[in-house]
Amino acid sequence: MTDPQDLQAFRQEVADWLEQNCPLSQRQPVVQSEQIWGGRKRQFPSDDARTWFEACRDRGFTAPDWPAEYGGAGLTSEQHKVLTNEMKRLGCRPPLYDQGLWMLGPALLVYGSEEQKREHLTAICRGEVRWAQGYSEPGAGSDLASLKTRADDDGDAFVVNGTKIWTTKADQADWIFCLVRTDDDAPKQQGISFLLIDMESEGVSTSPIPLISGESEFCQTFFDNVRVPKENLVGELNGGWSVAKELLKHERKMMAMVGDMGEKPALSLVELARHCLGTEDDGALNKPAIRDHMAQHLMREQAIASLGERIYQQGKAGQVDSRLPLLMKYLGTREIQAKDELILELLGAEGLTMEDPSIVDDSRKRVKQWAFNKALTIAGGTSEIQLNIIAKRALGMPSVGGKS
Amino acid sequence: MIFTEEQQLFRDAMADFFAKHGAIQALRQLREEPANVAFDTQIWAELVALGLPGMVVPEEYDGLSFGWLGLGAIAEVSGRHLAPSPLLSHVVLGQELLLNCGSTAQIAHYLPLLLSGTELWAVAIDGHRFFQGGDGSVVEVDERLSGKKVLVPDGAAADRILLPVRRADGNVGVFAVPAGSAGVSVEAARMMDGRQYANIEFDEVEASQGVWLCGSSVENGWRLTLDRAMVVLAAEMVGSARELLERTVQFLTEREQFGVKLATFQALQHRCSMAYCELELTASAVLAALSAIDRGESQIAAYASQAKALANDCLTLISSEAVQLHGGMGVTDEMDIGLFLKRSRVANQLLGTSDWHRARFASLAGF
Repeated sequence: MTDPQDLQAFRQEVADWLEQNCPLSQRQPVVQSEQIWGGRKRQFPSDDARTWFEACRDRGFTAPDWPAEYGGAGLTSEQHKVLTNEMKRLGCRPPLYDQGLWMLGPALLVYGSEEQKREHLTAICRGEVRWAQGYSEPGAGSDLASLKTRADDDGDAFVVNGTKIWTTKADQADWIFCLVRTDDDAPKQQGISFLLIDMESEGVSTSPIPLISGESEFCQTFFDNVRVPKENLVGELNGGWSVAKELLKHERKMMAMVGDMGEKPALSLVELARHCLGTEDDGALNKPAIRDHMAQHLMREQAIASLGERIYQQGKAGQVDSRLPLLMKYLGTREIQAKDELILELLGAEGLTMEDPSIVDDSRKRVKQWAFNKALTIAGGTSEIQLNIIAKRALGMPSVGGKS
Repeated sequence: MIFTEEQQLFRDAMADFFAKHGAIQALRQLREEPANVAFDTQIWAELVALGLPGMVVPEEYDGLSFGWLGLGAIAEVSGRHLAPSPLLSHVVLGQELLLNCGSTAQIAHYLPLLLSGTELWAVAIDGHRFFQGGDGSVVEVDERLSGKKVLVPDGAAADRILLPVRRADGNVGVFAVPAGSAGVSVEAARMMDGRQYANIEFDEVEASQGVWLCGSSVENGWRLTLDRAMVVLAAEMVGSARELLERTVQFLTEREQFGVKLATFQALQHRCSMAYCELELTASAVLAALSAIDRGESQIAAYASQAKALANDCLTLISSEAVQLHGGMGVTDEMDIGLFLKRSRVANQLLGTSDWHRARFASLAGF
């Protein structure tokens, strides 16, 4: 617990710092082409973006709640929230986008060796390495534990063979964290290890997968006799499942909040509705049924935020109800899709084309988003898997169809 | 959104109290009584002795100043036990209306009678089939009131009826009239939730028989009272939903068909999980609304509509699912499930249906 007075002082300090260090252009709603991604091949979208990133990097604000010795700022959860709120208030863009930051890092903090933390966490915070995730395989989706990509012991290294799918932006990544099979005879979850693999290693190749949104966000990644030094094993040999589960928690948390991180459209939902539908004399939207749906959606969206706030406050007060975080991914992703469907309905005939990518207007972006967001209830554990988990861990009902 | 230790203790004490007094059994007995009986007066007397009426009343008026979060927790417990008591009619509506619309002198005069349970006050809101937030169904002409009000909770048990009146000058006033006054006829009915509601006719009732609440902002006070009551009713409904879902999961865990427990079927698990998501989503909205009241926010209408609309939909879903998932037992009167189902549908109508609240929420949000 941070003393409220200290917290107030911290708020002032952070507000002043942001005021001085965040260029005005970095306080505008972020568009996709201006997101700051890390990596060996990184290119800053603008000089201001570089200035903003470097200021945050030097202050540890790319990973505010990580320990300072690994490149973070070592903030408490309360201080972190103050920073987040102040950034939101000023409209500051996220200084860095990276899956290493959102997913691998928090898992390494728990399971990584001291050397791994020093090497990888620092590089992530400094935006020097871009990470991809190698979990799913063509034959292992919801049943992730049946994965077949194997890592065979070969003295000082593992030799990796197999393929991973839905590896987000793997064609631009420097490293990939992978689940690999290291014991064929053990029960399936107990024969899996967690490996960090340099994408520049001999034998790694990627191939983008065109999606219904017209983008190729995901790749398939192939491993052909790839040698991986043994020090890149995270956690115990055959203990990768625990690391994977820790990481999944962060992945799901991120996916429930994905709406906050993406590109903000020019008009809010209410503004768009007023623009598309027109209003009655009293200001009510012309289509009562859509008005009703919108109110329903906004109420739910706000309630999801309240659920998040409740979880945060419980943590702070030491009165944690461990069932609640299990609900965030299911509720959050479903509500994002409900919003997308509403938007499509509002756009009417203007929302029916994805052709002619040279036209990048607000409607087209929204339609692409609608199509892309269909992945949200699939990636990171499908909604059906989430419901299995809730039944088992929140309601105490028996496991079905093996482990999930 | 976090309960203090005191609030938790009080909540737990109330849970013990309702369990010990067999609140649901009391409701079953109540169904057999004539309609003029509104609740078990013995239980109510003990709740008064525990200090329930003073929960959110400021200390300067000899209340406990316990906070709305605390009152919400008690409403939730009450909903779990389907406890028939004048918590909503008297404590949250009648008493709050006095505090929010009455003058200092009126509060000083009447409040002690309410806190001690000496008088019971009920609030008559609308005269129409649907909730409208207080309509012009009773009007004042030449200092006489005429019109009617319907679905007044505990209205035939009350010593005094409070109601909004369209006054001769076109403004809305809040009038408090003794139940036995000349021209006031009260007709008691028992609704399907086993509780008492009254239809009340006002036939040229002379205003000199009662008093006009004359605090500084009567219209705001009226709206604020209803908004707060919506949130407390939503909290009660969350309690009922929580109880129902727990009982349903328990039932599925015990009942066997095809040689296995029903709880092993994924189709049933998913329905329970979805219900649980709705429950905690709604509970979070209600806690946010209670916290907003405790922070003293003046604009709580959007919070209140959000809480009540979500609570309506959540309890409608969970009570229907509970009946279905209990199978044949779900439609027997022997099981309590049906009592919750019926309470759910009455609670939907009290203080506003979901579509009413969504329309208000939309207006408040500028669409």
